[in-house]
Amino acid sequence: MLLTLAFRNLWRNRRRTLLTLSAMVVSAALLILALGVFSGMFRDMLASATEQYYGHLVLAHADYHERRDLFAHLDENIASRYLPSDNTAITGVSPRLRSFGLISLAETSQPVEVLGIIPAREQQVTSLQTKLIAGGYPADEAGNGALIGQGLARRLRVRTGDEMVFVTQAADGSIGNDLLIVTGIFATGDSRNDNNLVLAPLKWVQQILVLPGRIHEVAMTLADPMLAAPTADRLNPHLPDNVAILDWGDLLPEMREVIAAYDVSRMIIVTILYLATGLGILNTFFMSVMERTREFGILMAQGMRPWTIRSLILLETCILGCIALAIGLTCGAAMTLYMQQVGVDLAEYITPVTYAGGTILPRLHAVFEAGNFFVPAGMLLLVSLLAGFLPANRAARLDPVQAVREV
Amino acid sequence: MDLFKLAWKNIWRNRRRTIITLTAIAFSIMLVQAVHNLSYGVYAGMVDSGVRAGSGHIAVYRNNYLESRDEILHFRDGSLVDDIAMIDGVEQVLPRLYIPALAQSSRESRGVLLIGVDPARERQINPFLKALPADGMIRSADSRDAVVGSRLLNELQIRPGQKFVVTAQHEDGTLHSELLRVRGVVSSGMKDIDSSLILVGRGRAALLTGNSGSVHELAVILSDARLEKTVHRQIAAKLPADQDILAVSWEKAMPNLANAIKLDYASQKFIFIIILLIVTIGVINTLLMSVMERMREFGVILAIGSKPMTLRTLIMLEAVIMGLLAAAIGTILGSLATWYLVAVGIDLAELVPDTLEFGGVVFDPVMRASWDPAWMIRIAVYVVCLTLAAAAYPAIKAGRITPVEGMRHH
Amino acid sequence: MNTEYAARILSTLLLTSVLLLSALPAFALDVEALIRQVEQQYMGASSRALSSMQVKTSHWDRSLEMEAWSLDRDYFLVRIIEPAKERDVATLKRYREVWNYLPKVDRVIKVPPSMMGGSWMGSHITNDDLVKANHIEKDYNLRLIEETETDFIVECLPKTDAAVVWGKIIYKINKTPQVPVRVDYYDEEMVRVREIHFDDVQQIGDRIVPMRLTVLPLEKPDEQTILHYRKLVFDLPIDETYFSLRNLKKP
Repeated sequence: MLLTLAFRNLWRNRRRTLLTLSAMVVSAALLILALGVFSGMFRDMLASATEQYYGHLVLAHADYHERRDLFAHLDENIASRYLPSDNTAITGVSPRLRSFGLISLAETSQPVEVLGIIPAREQQVTSLQTKLIAGGYPADEAGNGALIGQGLARRLRVRTGDEMVFVTQAADGSIGNDLLIVTGIFATGDSRNDNNLVLAPLKWVQQILVLPGRIHEVAMTLADPMLAAPTADRLNPHLPDNVAILDWGDLLPEMREVIAAYDVSRMIIVTILYLATGLGILNTFFMSVMERTREFGILMAQGMRPWTIRSLILLETCILGCIALAIGLTCGAAMTLYMQQVGVDLAEYITPVTYAGGTILPRLHAVFEAGNFFVPAGMLLLVSLLAGFLPANRAARLDPVQAVREV
Repeated sequence: MDLFKLAWKNIWRNRRRTIITLTAIAFSIMLVQAVHNLSYGVYAGMVDSGVRAGSGHIAVYRNNYLESRDEILHFRDGSLVDDIAMIDGVEQVLPRLYIPALAQSSRESRGVLLIGVDPARERQINPFLKALPADGMIRSADSRDAVVGSRLLNELQIRPGQKFVVTAQHEDGTLHSELLRVRGVVSSGMKDIDSSLILVGRGRAALLTGNSGSVHELAVILSDARLEKTVHRQIAAKLPADQDILAVSWEKAMPNLANAIKLDYASQKFIFIIILLIVTIGVINTLLMSVMERMREFGVILAIGSKPMTLRTLIMLEAVIMGLLAAAIGTILGSLATWYLVAVGIDLAELVPDTLEFGGVVFDPVMRASWDPAWMIRIAVYVVCLTLAAAAYPAIKAGRITPVEGMRHH
Repeated sequence: MNTEYAARILSTLLLTSVLLLSALPAFALDVEALIRQVEQQYMGASSRALSSMQVKTSHWDRSLEMEAWSLDRDYFLVRIIEPAKERDVATLKRYREVWNYLPKVDRVIKVPPSMMGGSWMGSHITNDDLVKANHIEKDYNLRLIEETETDFIVECLPKTDAAVVWGKIIYKINKTPQVPVRVDYYDEEMVRVREIHFDDVQQIGDRIVPMRLTVLPLEKPDEQTILHYRKLVFDLPIDETYFSLRNLKKP
């Protein structure tokens, strides 16, 4: 019965209801959008750091990352041997063998890092195939094709199809040397990759280093990068003692720090946004309830209990809040969708930024995250209730005569 | 004038509503201004550390040394260092010679990039050298002292005071070696720096390659970052015209830092736009409501002979006054907040581990604001304009009332 | 003459002559010549050698057969004969520049400064050793510190500002035949870091040469490099044109 009254009240004063509703909806939608863009930036940062080179998880000898010791190698089948095969969280597994050496030219040489990979598997873990500016990954797993960075290509003055000589110290003490043919060139924007990195077939590197059947690490990607640490904890007990899986936080401690700082500033901004939105809603709502004080006074004079008045207002608030929520969430979702698919491209003004081991692309885009919807929704409801509650209380406590007199 | 007084009185008829609205707008202005000033201060701080640890506000190079890093692109600096140092606004000029070399101890060897510097000048400016004790710095440009990163020292298995040998390719094609002794150690906490930094006097470094009197880079540090454009022009004028030596701004020399700031700023602007939009919605709402409930009153006013235009103007005036009031209050609050953030700032030290990197530069854990009055005033003006814009629809509505409709309204 | 006065003059004369006499060495040993001879024992004016090298490190066991030519102390060419996988890999040194030839890719590569610290062919001899080793007297002050019945012990301390990593080098040289027995390398804190010892002394023409040298990195007790000369010929008719980049390539 009260419910019907609440609805009727809202319907009766359409203009006021619509005004209040619109304010709430727009605020909520914009808030959701802002949060989506923030999450987008954050994901971009993380993705660039992990998906260009490191992966989300890396399996290797315990201190391999510190020293990159050539002799800390593992059996190439270590992943399938030790890791449980029912892992749906892991979306890509790439074994790698790393060699540091020189690309030699006539009178000079250029120090490089050659990463031996299986092209098909590597492309499931890193995304250099989306950053190609010429050619592509070596097609032949057993050949000598190489994918090199743009900065390196420029320094060496090579193009796709050209030959290069790679010289390194092999694991048996001899001078490892062989020819590579450039099959493709990538440009990530990160000078560390673009100026130093060469991707070559795993078999070729195993042969040049005299390490048949050996690798240094297994890089893996997860469906949800944020679950990297718990996944590593889950898998580590399965591995032999001197081998461990590190997550991206361990590999890139600077990135972890940046994210911590970023979280702080995000919290500040988000609080501000919530406050602004809350204030806007409070404003509108508060006023509309206040202005009905006279009306409530009359109702009370006619015999309605104060308790009923309060409930009535709260109900109206709830209904309004729920409707606003529904519409606001939908609008917010729609805008987030747009920003996710299309986004705003800033490439004209800014070039990619390398930042704590990752590279951020110059664009604004959004991602969908449950938290970005439920939290604002909850807050919206809360603020609405609060906004209606206070004046409702006040109205309920008034002397009917005074209330009626209020203008 | 009467209209003005009327508008003023109208605003205060519903004191509660007006105060709530004013608060909302003022608060948003305060937030936007304070956050902007905070970022302004933090960015300025980052730029300052960045240029001091890197290539200065303005850097002088030969040809495209910046991109190619080809050791061949060195140039004789002659009196350039002193000439540039004399320009108003220049705090210091740091000459640098970069030499790829081999560092050897009795146990280990490593490829390194040796940096030949002017010790006295470098000591004043370079933030990585700040922690060095008084006797920890290179004594002269010709001495055999070296300042080495802590990780590199470990890898070479030597300690401060011990000797090591550097070998590099001389201009004549042969290899030259020099004896150096570790004088000071740099332990910045940044892995990259600590495992690669070697500083020597430029005189000693030049002996390795046969490039005495030459440099690869002149890093110019300004006392005030805002003087960059004028000083740049003056520097360009002093450079010898016949050689391909040019001056480059830090934004081009350290694009990472510049772009990191731009990106952060762009996302901030996005957020501000959203905040202001939210506030505007609230304002429109308020104004509409106030117009709606005065329909009857307006009807009466029109009936007794006032023009619709007057009504519209009245509404706009009410909006403008509210806007101005809110802007004033908001700016005062914003100023107070800024004052606090300048004097005290936000200390991130507890929330974040020791060294933070952003765009390749170490982050000072205390975030401090910096006054940007021009921007603050602009925001205040925008808000007033927004308020006016928000009043447009309600004003039009008010103007369209016919006296009869209005008086019948409730 | 006053006896007292005469006694005083006599004693002064005596004292002076004793001092003068004791300042002169018993016989003038040219230490520098001694060391130079040791360092050049495998070179002569020119030389050709067939040698084998066994290297044992914690990561590999290698065995190489090589042929090498030298001229003075400034030119040096070595070519690998065995194992087959590394046949025709060659290294050329001219003064302080070093090149490697790699037959597999048929390229000559100049060794950059950053690689000079690296090991030569996986042994305990570095590229740098090849380039610098034979000019000891340029960078060190040599001094005979002990002489026993059978040996000379010569101490080499770096000259001020000499660009060398060692704190001290000690040579132990047999008197007859005059061949080195051992060389010890010390770091700046006088910790012994490296030892090379010589044995298998033989007569080649008019020279007496130890045909085997062993390099021991003392901080890795399981590792060593043994270089064994199988055949050594001196005073060949070659000059510096022989040590060219073209010869480096040609088998």
